[in-house]
Amino acid sequence: MAAVDTAAPRERGKHKKKHKKKRRIGIRIDMTPMVDVAFLLLTFFMLTTTFSKPQSMEINLPPSETKVEVAESNLLTLRVMEDGTIYWNMGIEAPQKVAFNDLRNFLSSKNQENPKLITLVKVDRKSKYHMMVDVLDEINLADVKRFSLAPMLDQDKKEVSKAAG
Amino acid sequence: MTPMVDVAFLLLTFFMLTTQFRPPEEVEIVLPSSHSPIKIPESDVSVITVSKTGALFMSVDQQNLRVRLFGEEARLKESVPVELSQLEKLLITARISNPKLRFVIKGDKDADYGPVMDVMDIFDKTKISRFNLVTDLQRD
Repeated sequence: MAAVDTAAPRERGKHKKKHKKKRRIGIRIDMTPMVDVAFLLLTFFMLTTTFSKPQSMEINLPPSETKVEVAESNLLTLRVMEDGTIYWNMGIEAPQKVAFNDLRNFLSSKNQENPKLITLVKVDRKSKYHMMVDVLDEINLADVKRFSLAPMLDQDKKEVSKAAG
Repeated sequence: MTPMVDVAFLLLTFFMLTTQFRPPEEVEIVLPSSHSPIKIPESDVSVITVSKTGALFMSVDQQNLRVRLFGEEARLKESVPVELSQLEKLLITARISNPKLRFVIKGDKDADYGPVMDVMDIFDKTKISRFNLVTDLQRD
C-alpha cells in the first residue's frame, strides 16, 4: 500500500544525493494508520450526522379581539372529549359521534357541500395532546382552510353528555 | 491512493464542520406524528417544551438572549424550566430582544392538552399569532 507513495520521494532523494552527497536514504512514511483513522472519523461523522430537521405543523391564531360573526349554518363544531371520542354538530344541533378514521372523509364531504363552512375545534383540557395534533392533521389533510381552536366549556360537555345519553 | 485519501479527508472535514451534536434534553419527549411537511426554521427559534407531566421548559437558540432571559448561569443551558406564570413576561422580553424570533411548541404525545392550551392562550395574549407545533413525519 505504502509503496505507491514512496516512489516519488525516493526519486527526489536520489536527485539530492547527486548534488549534496546526503547520507539520508529515501524516507518511507507509512500512511496507512493515518488513513485508517481518517476513515474511522469519516464513518463516525457520516453516521452521526442528522440532516433532517424535525417536521412541524404551522398554526395561525386569529387575534382574540376580533369577533367574527358566523352564520349558524356555516359552523361545524368538532368536540374532542376526554376519552378521545369525537363529536360533531352543525350550529346548535345535537352533537353526534364520529369515528376518528372517518374524520377526513367526513370533513372533506362537509366542506364540499358548503364551501363557506368554518370548523371550530374544541378539545377537552384533559384529553391527550396527540389527539389535538391528530385532529388538526386530519383537518389539514382534508384541505380545510378555515378552522379555529376554542376552549371547551362546561356547557359543551353538558351538551355532549346529553346527546350521548 | 493519494486521490482517495484526499477525497476521504475532504469528506471528513465536510462532515466535521457540518455536524451539530444534538444537545442533551432535560426531558425525553415523544413527538406526536402528523403529515405536515413543514420544517421548523433553522435559526431564531424558541422552543416551549411541554413534558408528559405537563412541566414547561423554554429554550432559545441564541446565547445572548438566553442570558438576558434567564441570567448568566443559563448561558450554556439548553433549556430552562419555567412556570406558566413567568411565561408571558419571558415571551414579551424575548420578542422585544429579537422580533424575528419564531416560537414552536414541542409537546409530548401523551401530555394533557390543558398545559398546551395554556401556552397557546399565552401566545394569543402576547400577540404571537403564528407558531409551529413540532411533530414527527408520519408515513403511511
